Amino acid sequence: MRQLVKLVFGTLILVFSGCTKDFREINTNRNNPTSVTPDLLLSGVIRSTMNQQVSEAWSIGNLVAQYNAKIQFVNEDRYLWGERNGIWNNVYGNYRDLQNILTQVGSNTSSPYFGVCLVLKSWMFAQLTEAYGDVPYSQAGKGKTDGLFQPAYDKQEDIYNGILADLKRANELLATASGPFSGDLIYGGGAASIIKWRRLANSLRLRYLLRLSKQKSVNVEMQAIINDPTNNPIFTANSDNAELRYLSAAPNQWPLYDSRVGSFDEIRLSKTLSDRLTLMNDPRIRVFGRPTQSSVSAGSPVILGIPNGLSDVGALAYNGGPQNVSRVGYTFACLVCNDPGQPAPLPDAPRALLMTYAELQFILAEARQRNFISAGNAATYYNQGITANFAYWQSVVPAAYNLQISMPAGFISQPSIEYTGSENELLAKIALQKWISLYFNGLESWHEWKRTGLPTIVPGPANLNNNLVPVRYIYPLSEQALNSANRTAAIQRQGVDEINTRTWLFK
Amino acid sequence: MRRISRILFLVFTILSITISTVVVGQTLVKGKVVSGEGNLPLAGAIITVKNSKKSVTSDAKGEFSIQANNGDVLEVRSLGYNTAEQKFSGGSISFTLTALSNELNEVVVTALGIKKEKKKLGYAIQEVKGEDLTVARETNVVNQLSGKVAGVTVIASPSGVGGSSRVTIRGERSLDLNKNQPLFVVDGVPISNSVSGASGRGNLEIDFGNGAGFINPDDIESMSVLKGPAASALYGSRAANGVILIKTKAGKKQKGLGIEFSTNTTFETPLKLPKYQTVYGQGNGNGGPFAFGNGAGGGLTDGTDEGWGPAFNGQSYAQYNSPRTLNGQVIPFLGGDLNAPAGSVITPTLWEAEKDNLKNFLQTGKTITNNVAFVGGNNDGDFRLSYTGINQIGMIPNTDLKRNTFSLSGGYKLSSKLTARAFVSYIVGESDNRPSISYGTESIMYLFNCWLPASVRLRDMKRLWQPGLENVRQFGWNYNYHDNPYLTLYKNTNGQLYNRILGNVSLKYDFTDWLSLQLRTATDWSNERREYRRAFSTQRFPFGQYRETNIVNEERNSDFLLTASKEISSDFAFSATFGGNAMQQTSRFNEAVAGQLNVPEIYSLNNSRIALVNEQSKVGKRINSLYGSAGVSYKNKIFIDFTGRNDWSSALTLPEDLRSFGIEDNSYFYSSVAVSAIISEMVNLPKYFSYLKVRGSFAQVGNDTDPFAYTQTFNRSEPFGSSQIYGETSSLANLNLKPEISNSYEFGTEAKFFGNRFGIDFTYYNSRTRNQILAIPLSNTSGYTSRRINAGLITNYGVEMMLTGTPIKKKDFVWDAFLNFSANRSKVLELSDGLTNYVMASRRVTVEARVGERMGSMFGIGFARVQSTDRNAPYYDASGQYSGQMVFGTNGRPIRTTNRIYLGNYNPDWLLGIGNSFTFKGIKLSVLFDTRQGGKLYSETQTVGREGGIIMETLEGRANGYDLSLPGNGVIGQGVVLNSNGTFSPNTTKVTAREWHTAWTAGRNIAEGVMFDASFVKLREVQIGYSFPDKWFKKTPFRAVNLSFVGRNLMVWDNVPHVDPENMSYSGGTALPGIENMSMPTTRSYGLNLSFKF
Repeated sequence: MRQLVKLVFGTLILVFSGCTKDFREINTNRNNPTSVTPDLLLSGVIRSTMNQQVSEAWSIGNLVAQYNAKIQFVNEDRYLWGERNGIWNNVYGNYRDLQNILTQVGSNTSSPYFGVCLVLKSWMFAQLTEAYGDVPYSQAGKGKTDGLFQPAYDKQEDIYNGILADLKRANELLATASGPFSGDLIYGGGAASIIKWRRLANSLRLRYLLRLSKQKSVNVEMQAIINDPTNNPIFTANSDNAELRYLSAAPNQWPLYDSRVGSFDEIRLSKTLSDRLTLMNDPRIRVFGRPTQSSVSAGSPVILGIPNGLSDVGALAYNGGPQNVSRVGYTFACLVCNDPGQPAPLPDAPRALLMTYAELQFILAEARQRNFISAGNAATYYNQGITANFAYWQSVVPAAYNLQISMPAGFISQPSIEYTGSENELLAKIALQKWISLYFNGLESWHEWKRTGLPTIVPGPANLNNNLVPVRYIYPLSEQALNSANRTAAIQRQGVDEINTRTWLFK
Repeated sequence: MRRISRILFLVFTILSITISTVVVGQTLVKGKVVSGEGNLPLAGAIITVKNSKKSVTSDAKGEFSIQANNGDVLEVRSLGYNTAEQKFSGGSISFTLTALSNELNEVVVTALGIKKEKKKLGYAIQEVKGEDLTVARETNVVNQLSGKVAGVTVIASPSGVGGSSRVTIRGERSLDLNKNQPLFVVDGVPISNSVSGASGRGNLEIDFGNGAGFINPDDIESMSVLKGPAASALYGSRAANGVILIKTKAGKKQKGLGIEFSTNTTFETPLKLPKYQTVYGQGNGNGGPFAFGNGAGGGLTDGTDEGWGPAFNGQSYAQYNSPRTLNGQVIPFLGGDLNAPAGSVITPTLWEAEKDNLKNFLQTGKTITNNVAFVGGNNDGDFRLSYTGINQIGMIPNTDLKRNTFSLSGGYKLSSKLTARAFVSYIVGESDNRPSISYGTESIMYLFNCWLPASVRLRDMKRLWQPGLENVRQFGWNYNYHDNPYLTLYKNTNGQLYNRILGNVSLKYDFTDWLSLQLRTATDWSNERREYRRAFSTQRFPFGQYRETNIVNEERNSDFLLTASKEISSDFAFSATFGGNAMQQTSRFNEAVAGQLNVPEIYSLNNSRIALVNEQSKVGKRINSLYGSAGVSYKNKIFIDFTGRNDWSSALTLPEDLRSFGIEDNSYFYSSVAVSAIISEMVNLPKYFSYLKVRGSFAQVGNDTDPFAYTQTFNRSEPFGSSQIYGETSSLANLNLKPEISNSYEFGTEAKFFGNRFGIDFTYYNSRTRNQILAIPLSNTSGYTSRRINAGLITNYGVEMMLTGTPIKKKDFVWDAFLNFSANRSKVLELSDGLTNYVMASRRVTVEARVGERMGSMFGIGFARVQSTDRNAPYYDASGQYSGQMVFGTNGRPIRTTNRIYLGNYNPDWLLGIGNSFTFKGIKLSVLFDTRQGGKLYSETQTVGREGGIIMETLEGRANGYDLSLPGNGVIGQGVVLNSNGTFSPNTTKVTAREWHTAWTAGRNIAEGVMFDASFVKLREVQIGYSFPDKWFKKTPFRAVNLSFVGRNLMVWDNVPHVDPENMSYSGGTALPGIENMSMPTTRSYGLNLSFKF
């Protein structure tokens, strides 16, 4: 019976399948292209990763580094951290399109896209490994090309080696790169931008070498970069800063611009920051915080932060309530986060930061101080760093805000700032100024603290982490389901998957 | 499996042969059997000579001949008819059989619209009559299957007005939660039941209803639920989860014009309201007073939106609705008017609890349905024209739904051989506003369940705007986070306009009395327009927003069907069908968004302050099919049916540019066999058996996938200035997809007892679905978040039992009862590529399929507990003394597990529906209870409602306020702490109430503490009806006047706090069963139904 049915059907199938000719066309997706040029992808990767810098800093980086503190929904500030997948999802998501660019460029390593992709890739994976420790790296992003769906986790050390090698190679390749280059939201693209990407590559090398210095001798490599500025150009001024400048029109405004006022105001200026800057009479405090509303009403404006890590009740009641605690700087505020009588802030003033000239100067200052490099003078680097950071904020904060943030006369020669003292005092001074310069720069300050313990972070009185400052993020819970064996292997190597497990780099 | 069906067939054949009797001659009596209704010949009636073994069956003309002696008594039996006897006294003899009320000869509509006697079916089918849908009614007709059909689970989304419903038949077969719904077929033609996701662009999820919900119950003659693949094999791909066949009403042959009218009015009130604490007002647990300053932290704790404030002790505070004075004079400004003149002060008013904020906010919903139908018919044709208007006003203010349906159905005999039929239904649905669901500022339950302290008197917010700033600045109690809920509902509307045309035309040609050909073409076309408005000063849209979406869905089906039905001999009858179908689906989506507006209240794309954002897509699919069936029946006792179908799907066809890269497999064949035997006709059973049937079937169903599964595209996103931006989709295509195949078998029995007074219908079924095409989630470290594969083997088995009975049958009093029971288990036997688990959905908890476990298992972070088995795992207690206890930190807070643990399964253990109806003279009372046992529910209302100090539970630990030194304050968690020497001791650390209720979920991380048993019993339906005797209306044109009081979802008994256990949430168009996320209160409805005819 079945045979007969099949025979009859078989005959009919032959007749009938003639009507399926247009099936191919029906199943062709005409809504969107199946390939696009690299510039269209590059712009997306840059916008997305730079936005993530802002949101990661806002949601955790600025809190754990104690620039900001929470007055409500204080879990993060009390170190009650769940999974924090922002960077993880962002890096691996954008790595997909980075890989697509690399696939298109193919073996044409002289294409500017090739070198630029290596720079971005290095920076992205550095963010990832510094936050989580061992992560998928060498096998990552190969779902389409190699059918690798459960990539192994690489050792942090190996990832760091890869990052440094890629940056070095990027610098070399970009030196001879030619051809069209656009979609570059950081430096504007074109031939003129290539030197800037090289400077970024080498500056990042110095950043990561310094971070590695606790585990390995980095003298030779650092020295090699400094010794040959022609072949290893580094940042020379704030104009080299790697940053994303937002637009005045939605939707490419400062990412916090459309926050709800309550969400924005949950986060306030940290007392750690306000105390430190007040002590130094540092006018930059006016960038980071606003005078408390009650002090303004009373006619004697004062900028005062709130301690990190208070309890729910304590945080909201601190110093008599939110009116007596400084809000985060007007520069970074949302559309409706202005103080009474104040116009709405500008949506395109603040920028997303990847790396600044000031940070580089502090890296050089420390490297020189510790004799990783022999060129230059630590004090000069240090002073240039402070000056550059002042200049940076002066260029960012609209003049109309009238914050008066130029460096006061004699500022640098104050005892608390002047580059004098014991080795430890000097390193602490560099760390403090570097910390100020890393405001709103992703998680960089946290990583620096994990490396040096400077400047000091004191857990808040109501912290829920046994008085320990977290040193990593836990892996996304989804990895337990989707990449279980490799995650387990990484944990066995690295230690328990919790926020207090120090990873290799920061041991 | 094929072997089993063969054996079954063999057994039945042998059985029937041995039972057949041989006739020996006397006088040859000739006679005829006709039915009482219309004197139609009755074939297959069994004529026996009493007290002998002689018996014959009547032929197609109802005629028979049998040897008998004068004086013998002839007995005639036929299924569904009363048995008749006559003494033979020479000459010819004729029997007129009257039909049994239970209609054993019930004719049901089966696949392709073919009518069959139910007794001939080898699979389970259950029918719901139109009148059961139109008296106690729901706007979404699908909801009414609940409890009435065994094995059917319906979960309606609690969105108030005509929301969508998720129906599953016999459990979950697919790993893709969107693909477990049955196919809906109207008059033999599949219709679209798609859900178009309605979130995105900063807007929350909105339930705009799904396709099947738009069918008008008044046009339904019957709904047949075909449960297993054998029943639905002829529908192919889309019927693997069963089919709900809807037959529309047609005109009847009658004298003159008939007019039928019915009107139904029901009122809706909340079935279950969340329980909020009304002891403490707004504040943050600091024990101090409250004062409204600017609703954003300018006063005393007025920036917080939590219920951890001062107790209501008769004191007065400045509040958002307190009057303002300037220089001692009352001015027309309230506390919340931030534009009040400078220097004005707020006069404190009484700090009191508003105990019924939600209850007062909700209104009594009202649904008015009017239906009028004109019917007529004669020997050559029939005609039915109907109009139904539904006007629903939701329980939630300013939500509504209007739906008008015009239907025309007619047929005409063009010649003795040619009949034409057509059905068309035009549906216009309109809603000015459908509420947002899920968690976020646009959802009102987000406010009520989590962030609305009892001190806020909500009704004062009916004044939407700050005076002088109408349409620009809203008025409210908290400007930090929340929108005025009246603004949300009256100004920030989600409108919908829906046009749908559903229709088919068919021609049927009868070549002979046994061979006919039907040609049919059908369309289901709908155009839906959605308009989202957001007013100025809305929290998430300070400049407002306007979003417009247009969705066009179309499905066309054209088919031919050749039907043959012939008696080969007096014992064997043969029927066969052969047909083909061409199906084409197209859907177009078009959306434009004005993300900010220039001028308030002008909701037009012209008024956009920024560049418009557009999105557009067009998706199409075509399936061509050939199919056929063959059936043989022996002596009207044994029936065998074979079906076969081959599909060719465009969705499994590679696009031209990918053709050479993949392996194409776009044609798939599958078949079924079903056997049934009427045992009671073959063997002598004890007297109390009136009927016994056994049945068995085996079926395969193939399936394809969504369109464009092979293409991986790059999608545009908003440009950055002049830089255009694209990104590759994160789902990985697969060029080597194979069709899915699901194999299933079922067997069952149907028996009737005591003169058909009692009946039982039992089914066991088992299916195995292999090679499911689905997008499995990937670790995003691979660069992609999902990948399409053929995966897995899922088995699905269970039982269904239906009991029917008439315990009392007196002249004036009849008691009828039925019971539907079903239990289903779905298990994952394999996943492909070494996968051990598959994440189907996630939101705080994940719904996972794990190899070897039940489908629908939920996993999440749990409480760390002491254990005494694994020395190396955390919290090992060798003594075992504390084994199983929760572990607390030294801070008194529960410690969470590092890994996700099993938290339960959302699928119920069993379902039970019990219906009773009592008829006394013309009065009929019917009551339906619906029970679900087992299944877990995760409640987000618990998680966040605890945090906000809003729900009742948050009174724990603050019996006397917030001072921990007072008794009744603070909570000491029950469990142990780990001492530094590795031993355990009872936890003694007290934490404040506020801290405790957040610690319970570790700040929305631990799910274990907010999982609930979702078992329930519901009083699903009650009807009290009276059919007035026609004689009362002798002098009027009215006939068949019926008046009923109806109620649905009147009571619920359950263990889930605050929300209806029948619950699910939506995310991106995917229903998430087992997860409650700020659900709206479900409705209890009651009202009146009046119907009559002219």
